[in-house]
Amino acid sequence: MQVPWNFRFGIVILGDSSVGKSSLLHRYTEGTFDESRQSPLGIDFKVSNMYFDPDVVIKLLLWDTAGQERFRSICKSYMRNSVGCILMFDVSQRQTFDRVRSWQQEVLDYVKPNPMFFVLVGHKCDLAVGRQVRKSEGDALAKKLNMLAYLEVSTKENINVKETFETLTRGIYNLFQQGKIPTRGDWQGLTVGATVQKESPVTKKSACCNCG
Amino acid sequence: MEETQNMESHFNDSASSDSNDCQRVDQYGFERAEDFNYESYEDFMSRHLAVVTRRSKKWTKLLQGTVKVEKNIKVKRYVRKGVPCEHRTQIWMAASGAQDQLDRNPGYYHSLLKAEHDPKIEEVIRADMHRTFPDNIQFRASSEPCLQKALFNVLLAYGYHNKDVGYCQGMNFIAGYLLIITKDEEKSFWLMDALIGKILPDYYTPTMLGLQMDQEVLGELVRMKVPAVWQVMNRHNVMWTLVVSRWFICLYVDILPVETVLRIWDCLFYEGSKILFRVALTMIRHNENLISQAQSLSEICERFKQITNGEYVEDCHTFMQKIFMEPGGLSTATITKLRKMCRNRITSA
Repeated sequence: MQVPWNFRFGIVILGDSSVGKSSLLHRYTEGTFDESRQSPLGIDFKVSNMYFDPDVVIKLLLWDTAGQERFRSICKSYMRNSVGCILMFDVSQRQTFDRVRSWQQEVLDYVKPNPMFFVLVGHKCDLAVGRQVRKSEGDALAKKLNMLAYLEVSTKENINVKETFETLTRGIYNLFQQGKIPTRGDWQGLTVGATVQKESPVTKKSACCNCG
Repeated sequence: MEETQNMESHFNDSASSDSNDCQRVDQYGFERAEDFNYESYEDFMSRHLAVVTRRSKKWTKLLQGTVKVEKNIKVKRYVRKGVPCEHRTQIWMAASGAQDQLDRNPGYYHSLLKAEHDPKIEEVIRADMHRTFPDNIQFRASSEPCLQKALFNVLLAYGYHNKDVGYCQGMNFIAGYLLIITKDEEKSFWLMDALIGKILPDYYTPTMLGLQMDQEVLGELVRMKVPAVWQVMNRHNVMWTLVVSRWFICLYVDILPVETVLRIWDCLFYEGSKILFRVALTMIRHNENLISQAQSLSEICERFKQITNGEYVEDCHTFMQKIFMEPGGLSTATITKLRKMCRNRITSA
């Protein structure tokens, strides 16, 4: 039996301007919906713990980014410290879907040689009219681009919000367990922390243990 | 799109209305937060109003029979002590050179509105309309007239006028404040031009080089003046952009209380962008212990948010006195040198 570990994952949320990145994060961490969420104008972040299996706590550093292109240079350095990416588009804005491929390519080029794992999110799926991207298209694109999953999400109606974060975190966790994600000392994307005590499930960032 | 609005009558100053127990909206149209402390506010206002009245009399005397605003020690002192609301538009316009530009280019603003606009810019600006001051009743889609329309016009015109900048998120907050104060699209446009084209380094261009540079400059200043904070930032590998980008991009709008922001802008228009560093350094230095005791990246970020709230920054008059004392000397030569150094560092990285 593998010893339970404590992990820290950096997760970055990307996508075109006003597809709903900040709203999604806010719904996930605060549990409320605010239609007029401002752009982070650069980069902002939240911390959230995810409890896995009996004894595994994963600390998520969630990076929220401004979608407008010129803020990219500010956000870039924090992309490097992430292992996972929630790449979002708006199902009612076709052009935001068309840009997904180039978003992914740009991120992968930038974080090289470190890995980055994606889930694709089709946002605002509550909109009954005005949908411009079909679910099957989202599914197909996620598959084609080797992403972990495609989810249709509504922050407003709280559909698939939790699932998005869980799918990505679970996917990364499993890949790590399979030895498919190497850790490096100079890379903060995925950090292995101390073993998790049953009595105190939340551990602070602590010295790194060697894998045994 | 071409028509501009008459914004003269749409909003009455409610500042001087009697202090009924539940004044939910401030004189600029911002709704007060639910946890707004009316008691401490009343306490502050009773002291503050005396200051404001005194300043107002002095300004009226100073401006008697003149429309020009000279640059001299006396006026500088006056500006640092605050420009009264009723003179603000005039002083900002005169001090920044916006009035000269307006006089020299009659009709220019309106011609920009009639021009053929880039649909991409239009779309980005439109997306920011409903998230610009949702807490201000003047910006509600339901208010009549609604400042959203004026905001849209100013931003669109500016994007056409300055094609190197176009539209950058954050400019909506700047234009919004200008409209609240001047109640005039054309004046807001020229003040915006003075800020972006002249007073600030290139914060809003696609490379945002000026912004990156000034964040680094602040880092260097903190290293010199508040080393404990610099060390904690360094230890936890926190880049300055993470905690201060909004301060610079929004020129403290939506970061600090409205009245404090306006006081900062008085100096910004009169003296230039150095004031932005003074404000940042004062808050950081005043909270040196709080910040330097943070244990993690997230705690550092939280504390940088925390320090922009509370009495220290709400008491704008005292705060403005502090910013000229607390950080100590800050010569233009130092800023120029640091800016040059940081710009080189960024471009050669």
